[in-house]
Amino acid sequence: MISQNFEYSAPNNLNEALALLAGGNAKVLAGGMSLIPLMKLRLAAPDHLVDLSRVADLKSIREEAGSIRIGAMTTHWEIESSPLLRAKSPLLAVAASNIGDVQVRNMGTIGGSIAHADPAADYPASLLALEAKVRIVSAKGERTLGIVEFLVDALTTALDPGEIVREIIVPVEAAGTGVSYQKMVQPASGFAIVGAAARVQKSGGKVSLVRVGMTGLAGKAFRATGVENLLAGTGGTAADVQKAAAVVADGIDANADLHASAAYRRQMAKVYTARALTQALSRAS
Amino acid sequence: MKIGGSYTLPVARERAYEVLQDPEVLARCMPGTDHLAKIGPDEYEMKMKMVISAVQGLFAGKVRIADQKPPEQFRLLVEGSGKVGFLKGDGLLTLVSSEASTEVRYEGEVQVGGVIAGVGQRLLDTTAKLVIRKFFEKLTEFVGEASQPAAG
Amino acid sequence: MATTITKTETLVGKSIRRREDPRLITGTATYVDDIQMPGMHHACILRSPHGAARIRSIDIQAASAHPGVVAVFTGKDVAAVGPVPCGASLPGLRVPAHSILAKDRVYFVGHPVAVVVATDRYVAADAIDLIEVDYEPLQAVADPEKALAAGAPAVHPEWPDNIAFTYHQEGGDTEKAFKEAEVVVKQRIISQRLIPTAMETRGVVAEYHGAEKSLILHSSTQIPHLMRTLVALMLGLPENHLRVITPEVGGGFGSKLNVYAEEALMCFVAMKIGKPVKWIESRRENFQCTTHGRGHVDYYEVAAKRDGTVLGLRLKLIQDLGAYHQLLTPAIPTLSVLMMPGLYKFRNVNADIVGVFTNCVPTDAYRGAGRPEATHGIERMMDLLAAELKMDPAELRLKNFIGNDEFPYQTATGLSYDSGNYAAPLKKALDLADYHNFRIEQKQAKASGRLLGIGISTYGEICAFGPSPATPAGGWESATVKIDPSGKVTVMTGTSPHGQGEETTFAQIAADELGVPIDDIIVIHGDTAIVQYGIGTFGSRGTAVGGPALYFALQELKKKVRKFGEMLLESSDVTFVGGHCVHNKTGKSVSLAQIAGASYRAMKLPPDTTPGMVATYFWEPPNFAFPFGAHIVITEVDPDTGHVEIKRYIAVDDCGNIINPLLVAGQVHGGVVQGLGQALWEQAVYDDNGQLVTGELTDYAIPKASMIPWIESSHTTTPSPVNPLGVKGVGEAGTIGCSPAVVNSVVDALSHLGVRHIDMPLTPEKLWNLVHPGGQA
Repeated sequence: MISQNFEYSAPNNLNEALALLAGGNAKVLAGGMSLIPLMKLRLAAPDHLVDLSRVADLKSIREEAGSIRIGAMTTHWEIESSPLLRAKSPLLAVAASNIGDVQVRNMGTIGGSIAHADPAADYPASLLALEAKVRIVSAKGERTLGIVEFLVDALTTALDPGEIVREIIVPVEAAGTGVSYQKMVQPASGFAIVGAAARVQKSGGKVSLVRVGMTGLAGKAFRATGVENLLAGTGGTAADVQKAAAVVADGIDANADLHASAAYRRQMAKVYTARALTQALSRAS
Repeated sequence: MKIGGSYTLPVARERAYEVLQDPEVLARCMPGTDHLAKIGPDEYEMKMKMVISAVQGLFAGKVRIADQKPPEQFRLLVEGSGKVGFLKGDGLLTLVSSEASTEVRYEGEVQVGGVIAGVGQRLLDTTAKLVIRKFFEKLTEFVGEASQPAAG
Repeated sequence: MATTITKTETLVGKSIRRREDPRLITGTATYVDDIQMPGMHHACILRSPHGAARIRSIDIQAASAHPGVVAVFTGKDVAAVGPVPCGASLPGLRVPAHSILAKDRVYFVGHPVAVVVATDRYVAADAIDLIEVDYEPLQAVADPEKALAAGAPAVHPEWPDNIAFTYHQEGGDTEKAFKEAEVVVKQRIISQRLIPTAMETRGVVAEYHGAEKSLILHSSTQIPHLMRTLVALMLGLPENHLRVITPEVGGGFGSKLNVYAEEALMCFVAMKIGKPVKWIESRRENFQCTTHGRGHVDYYEVAAKRDGTVLGLRLKLIQDLGAYHQLLTPAIPTLSVLMMPGLYKFRNVNADIVGVFTNCVPTDAYRGAGRPEATHGIERMMDLLAAELKMDPAELRLKNFIGNDEFPYQTATGLSYDSGNYAAPLKKALDLADYHNFRIEQKQAKASGRLLGIGISTYGEICAFGPSPATPAGGWESATVKIDPSGKVTVMTGTSPHGQGEETTFAQIAADELGVPIDDIIVIHGDTAIVQYGIGTFGSRGTAVGGPALYFALQELKKKVRKFGEMLLESSDVTFVGGHCVHNKTGKSVSLAQIAGASYRAMKLPPDTTPGMVATYFWEPPNFAFPFGAHIVITEVDPDTGHVEIKRYIAVDDCGNIINPLLVAGQVHGGVVQGLGQALWEQAVYDDNGQLVTGELTDYAIPKASMIPWIESSHTTTPSPVNPLGVKGVGEAGTIGCSPAVVNSVVDALSHLGVRHIDMPLTPEKLWNLVHPGGQA
């Protein structure tokens, strides 16, 4: 449980950090809740770690033009307890409160989490339901991607060498939006066996907007558009929810491990999707 | 660990069978593989550098092709080991024609040992699928390029 | 100076806060890894990644040449060190040669192959990666039943059947009982392999003093004195040249009731390099090479009459031993056999154990050690019998309990149960659960599709290990009490507490006996150079055997105190009370400090009395003690997910007299939590190649605080006649009582679906599949 030697830098500002990362060999330390255990097991042996914890520019939650911008180095605890998020875009705060344990939430950051792209991480389900954007920077410039484009595959993102996540952008919710994140917890690791995030709006007694993000079920988190299409425009009754949730795993190559077979995961995906939708609908007005 | 699935290559079956047994092509498409060195009939030695997220592992190993029934079927036997662990795979590949393309069905068993087996359970299945997917994606890219007429 | 000396308030029976805790919770306690020494080196161990393999060659050149590495040792270097000891002796037991480093073969994942010693821990770990071992992997076998099958790979080539021993025990006439039976129920029951997961992993620091040829071994262990005897033997060192120091120990649960390869290995290294050396086990190593617990496949048969009267019990017990015998490995299942009748009047029992080698780390004692398996078995069988007879499971138990007037009760397995009132805790638990009304509520709930269940477990356990003839290394315990010239008191116990809180409870006992404030007393343990020989802490024996040893040492000392008191007061009409000797007529008194001072100054001595104020007592228990109790668990299974919710957990335990209710509550809570771990989440999984796939806490699910229900803990009190304190032991009770109550409850919740038995852990997927046969939602 002892890592190999590595160089360690803790830059004080973003430019310094990006300059250090420009070579492409350095690995970002953004909380380290996944990276440090991998290093201790010697499964990861980066030559150079660039610790972003002192880069103040990356640590903020602020509202701007109908969006909330969350700095990449914002911890799960800061997201979970943010009055701004709780009031104006609560889904992400709920997702954050489901991550690991208190110690992990105090250390881990949203940027670190999404850049690691663990297929069972909690954030992606909510970020997909929120149609979040990811602002990426490097020494060469910056670009903004939709979360769908950002999450390329299991443990694989669209980040190129030298690039880091700068901030995550989520919408300020319209009044009356109902959200929910429902997670079946793997008892050892605390990761999701399946996790479903739902976000709905109603208008004139009909479901006018529905977004469903799913984590844990497949190699990468995905938006369950099949479910969304079936539920949109319905009255959002229990039967409508069941019918829509039933297709969440259609065409999905489900994960399997010691804790849940693929078949069981598919079943649970339906159950948790229905639960998330039901709760989100009950909160929508 | 059992693995299984299928992938469709946009080429005819004969061509698919040919590229799947071509060491040059395999070396190009297997993630992190530099080259395959022939050490016997249908048997090759290889070095792989797998990089998945922060995890990286160097593997040295062998690939063997057996039980060939061109152009329908063959077995691929892979073994590799490195500091992070070792693996041994035995897969049966079946090629099914469908119009201009070929469906490659694979089915097999992978044994994993060492650190990756002891600490990586949660992600083994996902990672295996990821590696297979990447291989076929590269292969598709390769056969696509190869079939492009050379620019004049 | 006539003052009124009255007896101070007694402390035994009071919830005194643990005196150990301030240093533990402020991080100032010293564990093995906190030990720093000038010139200390660090060791790192290379371990087998294979379940079974031949070692063709080991190349240590690059590792040896690595800057900072001072030595690399492999199996051939340690040939002179004796084998890792097995203390259990059973007739015909096959004992594999267990060298401290592998020789030409490895037998399980984690088997130590080489040790690197370097100037720091990081260098040692780097050099480990430079050792090249050429393995020829062999077929492994990790499942005990598969290991018994014809044609299975041989774990040890010299014993192709993989059988380490068979053991038979019977009492009464079981054949007749089954012939006369009106009903027979049978069930295969698994008690899965578990990883003890003490919060502190193991660790060793060894220092060699070449001039005196003496060694100091610091180890995180439950048995410092036995370790000293056994490690000295392994090293060929005179025992008095070895001193074992047990610093703070962060939990053991039986996994540190052992002597491991690493203790002798670090001593060997320290002697070779002439410098202190430290080895700290990683969590991954802890999972791979510290003993596991349980690992039973049990085949039970119960014979009974239609009215519910039990007649006979048969058990075929397959014990997964792992690849080697650690200290007590083969003895653990024999404890299951001893306790197999539980609290019931089974007059006819017949048990066969098959101890099986597998390519896994050895099993050994783990909280309860054999008794949780036995209790799980018999308590499941009682529920299966009740279901078969359509009888209420509480009623069936009450019908078959050993009666209050039958103690001491001779069991068919040869034990003598000391005292009991088995119906009392069950009745109390049933009242607390409002059992009758719950059954009505349950009926309604089930009718509406809810899966609500109630489960009972009434356990008995064998504790206070134990009479010496029944134990491998002596079952007595020792205590020394000294009073300093200033009147301050030091207690030295031969037990080795590692979380049990004896620094508090033993001080309570001493304070009451000597009538001094608890702050005047310190309790010392775990240093063989200071403390007289002792056996250690395990098997719920700390208070139940160590306590009486202290009690008797205190009585000896009090006799001497009185003699000096009588001398100083010039009268034999003296009472010792409140820390003073008081003249009954004049009221004159002398304090303990005055008495102790006089004993050391020794200007004058009472007749036939030596100077000083010290007494030592080695107490041999005449019998085990047998605590008991009843746990009732109410569960609800979510039909959509298979998730088990524990709605109520009621524990009524009878551990005899209670010294400190707060500590007893802590033991019950911790025990129940570990029982819940087995019932619901934990399992050590080896794949068919002997890979430990639950190799880290990301896949091995130990309970977390947020997963634990409220535990309603209460007691009945039936003192043990075996010892003067009337205590029985409580360290393992929670674990033993728990798992059958949970499984019985969940089976009860699903019984209308035809479910009779479910093996642990009760994972949601397992239960979902029972609720949805064929996978239909």
